[in-house]
Amino acid sequence: MESGCGDLGSSTAPLTWHDFLERMRQPSAADFVKSIKSFIVTFSNKAPDLEKDSDAVQEFLADMEDAFRAHKLWAGSSEEELESAGEGLEKYVMTKLFNRVFASVPEDVNSDEQLFEKMALLQQFVRPENLEIKPAFHNETSWLLAQKELQKINMYKAPRDKLVCILNCCKVINNLLLNVFIASDENPPGADEFLPVLIYVIIKANPPQLHSNLLYIQRYRRKSRLVSEAAYFFTNILSAETFIWNIDAQALSMDEIEFQKKMNCAREHLLGLSTNSENPVSQTKLDGTQKTEEILKTNRLSDCYLPAIRQQNNSNQANEVSMNLGGQNILIPRKQSVSDLENKGSSDLLKDDHLIRYFQQYPFLYARAGDLSVEDVENLLNCYKKLVLKYISLSKGMGVINESLPGQNMQMLSKTETLKEFDDAKVLGINSEKDEGIYREDDVSIENLLSGGDDSETKRTSGGLVDNPSAEREKEVCP
Amino acid sequence: MASAGKNNSINAKLVLLGDMGAGKSSLVLRFVKGQFLEFQESTIGAAFFSQTLALSDATVKFEIWDTAGQERYHSLAPMYYRGAAAAIIVYDITSTESFERAKKWVQELQKQGNPNMVMALAGNKADLEEKRKVATEEACTYAEENGLFFIETSAKTAINVNDIFYEIARRLPRAQPAQNPAGMVLSDRPAERLQTSSCCS
Repeated sequence: MESGCGDLGSSTAPLTWHDFLERMRQPSAADFVKSIKSFIVTFSNKAPDLEKDSDAVQEFLADMEDAFRAHKLWAGSSEEELESAGEGLEKYVMTKLFNRVFASVPEDVNSDEQLFEKMALLQQFVRPENLEIKPAFHNETSWLLAQKELQKINMYKAPRDKLVCILNCCKVINNLLLNVFIASDENPPGADEFLPVLIYVIIKANPPQLHSNLLYIQRYRRKSRLVSEAAYFFTNILSAETFIWNIDAQALSMDEIEFQKKMNCAREHLLGLSTNSENPVSQTKLDGTQKTEEILKTNRLSDCYLPAIRQQNNSNQANEVSMNLGGQNILIPRKQSVSDLENKGSSDLLKDDHLIRYFQQYPFLYARAGDLSVEDVENLLNCYKKLVLKYISLSKGMGVINESLPGQNMQMLSKTETLKEFDDAKVLGINSEKDEGIYREDDVSIENLLSGGDDSETKRTSGGLVDNPSAEREKEVCP
Repeated sequence: MASAGKNNSINAKLVLLGDMGAGKSSLVLRFVKGQFLEFQESTIGAAFFSQTLALSDATVKFEIWDTAGQERYHSLAPMYYRGAAAAIIVYDITSTESFERAKKWVQELQKQGNPNMVMALAGNKADLEEKRKVATEEACTYAEENGLFFIETSAKTAINVNDIFYEIARRLPRAQPAQNPAGMVLSDRPAERLQTSSCCS
């Protein structure tokens, strides 16, 4: 079976997933349900062991698929139907085990933070030319689209769903390359053109926990399905990750001193932003030079005005912060960064006597999560879109190239906000993707089916999508 | 890795190595889009292709993996050629540099690649005879010394393009009847690399 980009969407189609759940509800599937349940419970109670964990899951999936094949429930079924039953099983099992196996050891968490920080620095100064991307393939719109696809990776728990985000990202890049090829006399594009664009897009997208996501796919995507075209593009993102880890002056055709200077400059800039955004990732990496201390102090001072508003509305905080982060892609180095201007703007605003009038046009600014009703979602979304458009036009007018929109960096905030914002997420979750809605609904229903109300063990270990607030939260910030 | 399924059909991962601009993607595109429309299976992509060839004794399905040829991405290549059943190392006959790069690839594969890998050396852009910098004899001698299949190709005129893929398909190890189809296919013919190349024998 081909697993090219073209037909990768099939197994995530709601129908397939429904079909799997339906079959599991049949009385004759009782033994399967029992086995799945028992595997999840046993696995969840074991201490993490990277090698063995992956093998155990792979083996279980393979055994179960063989059992499906031999069972009367699937008698007369086509290969495709059996394949999608396997997909359903994988998605179900891994959704349950997600919290137990994803970024579950300190090394993975550390790697995630290091990679995230490195890309946060690199994205401020790496130019397409540094990676040998030919001018013909410079296309901010396509790059942004590809980044968006990749950033969806943290919205999903199933290995295949995560993989699809990567493949969609690659597909956008492929389309760009092919369109340029069709429109010009260039030689046909290949890996020489593809890989550099992919690396550039990854650096710009900088999805949180990229390292853990890749490890997770590698370990828990059923091996027999990580083949062919999917395997090729997955190898590309793995090699891109390796390249990014090892980026030095030489890899970017830069002078050593120039590279160090740009890294330092980027670090300082990031510190200015990160203290503002209370980003835990970069805060752990502070090197306590006097200069950075000063930056920290000034930022804290200017921050003093803001907590009042922040407490009023957490989502406002997210907006404000991501606006700051959105300003980090500045083409021409200037003395005053966009975030500085924004900070100045907000403190000026706060000193203004007519403060209330400014905020009246933003009805949700002082709203609490509990105040919002389902009817508010549409309004809120419209307001958000208006704000984004306004912000982008303003930034464009100021000559700032906006490669990151407000909102795309919100994922990392979720780490700190998730618990207190869980209610908020539940309200907004209604707005999330349609099939995700089905996904969750079914997740709960099969949850009931499997736990059967008699086994508290399962209930305790059953993650489901609902009790991972971070995933919930990430879903709604990336529509 | 080449793996055999039912009816002697072989799945073979083939990796393309070579300097940027040597014409790796042109070569594979000519092969995939050129003359075998009835077998075309690949989705429209830029760096990955699959193509099936029917031989008298087997059907070979190639999965063709392109790699970035720029020097800065060289160290990533092992991630791509891991598990490959075949490799085509492409150079541009109008560029001695690309031939030197090709030799480096050959050495690297001999050291680190799968020992049963079928390797082919392709001197591409053979239509540009007037700009030639790498003599056919030189490349041929090199190929013989290193047990490679060598042929000069032109993606532009399609000369020898299909031949190189057919020759690789012929040289792929065939499955033994009792073997596990998912397992590694071992060849009982270690002489692969000693066969002479087609151009200068």
